[in-house]
Amino acid sequence: MTHEHAPRVNHRFDSLTINRLGLWLFLVSDASFFIALLSSRFFVSGTHTPEYVDQVLGLGLTILLLISSLSAYRAEALFEHGNIEGAKRMLLATIGMGIVFVFGVAFEWHEAFKHFPPSTGFGTILFTLTGVHVTHVVTGVLTLGFVYFRIRNTTSIGDNQFAVEGAVKWWHFVDVAWVFIYPTLYLLK
Amino acid sequence: MHKTIQESLKVGWVVIGVLAIMTLAEFIVAVAVENKTMLFTLLLIVGLLKAWLIIQYFMHFGQLWEHVSEAWYGMISDDPEADREED
Repeated sequence: MTHEHAPRVNHRFDSLTINRLGLWLFLVSDASFFIALLSSRFFVSGTHTPEYVDQVLGLGLTILLLISSLSAYRAEALFEHGNIEGAKRMLLATIGMGIVFVFGVAFEWHEAFKHFPPSTGFGTILFTLTGVHVTHVVTGVLTLGFVYFRIRNTTSIGDNQFAVEGAVKWWHFVDVAWVFIYPTLYLLK
Repeated sequence: MHKTIQESLKVGWVVIGVLAIMTLAEFIVAVAVENKTMLFTLLLIVGLLKAWLIIQYFMHFGQLWEHVSEAWYGMISDDPEADREED
């Protein structure tokens, strides 16, 4: 005779903690991918940066992404404190800045094709690094958009807490990646 | 202890202010420093500090750490309460 038991629930940790831990593990694994790509810059083209690299655009994209990180942070803080309308506004602002960032990178690519196409060493690095990063930006924009529609008509904080928190953490991760991509591509000599 | 909304938003402004100053410093260093090794080292230090600020204050890394030891413990061990219920 067999004894069937209900699945045992471990009460030492809750699902929010496990969700956070899982997301952090994923972010760490994704960061290792960026570290590998960043290090490849030095193998492929050393530390030399061509003079045609658009410094103003690079600085502008960096400032834009930093400001979008602040609006994402405010969205999370406002949502946690029950200000859903404010959180929605901040999410929209973050999405808007993300879209502008994508267009900025598209402009960068348009210019880069003229001076260092993907067949050159620096071109390979620039298109690979910015391409992988902008993919992350696009997924971030889509995720923030999904979260916006999810909380659009809600009054429940608890049911949506990790959705907002997770999407915002992803956006901050995109910012952290750019913190290293910017000097690697634009500022080294 | 949980922060009030005003405290949370204030933290955001302070962090973004410091990040802006560090980004400006990064740009000035890149223009002013000619030595490649020195430039690489300085940019790496500034980059690591900026990343730490974002991870610590915007991504709430410490918040994870509050419970992570319990979470790992829970993954590898059974709940004694549940064991007692089965007995």
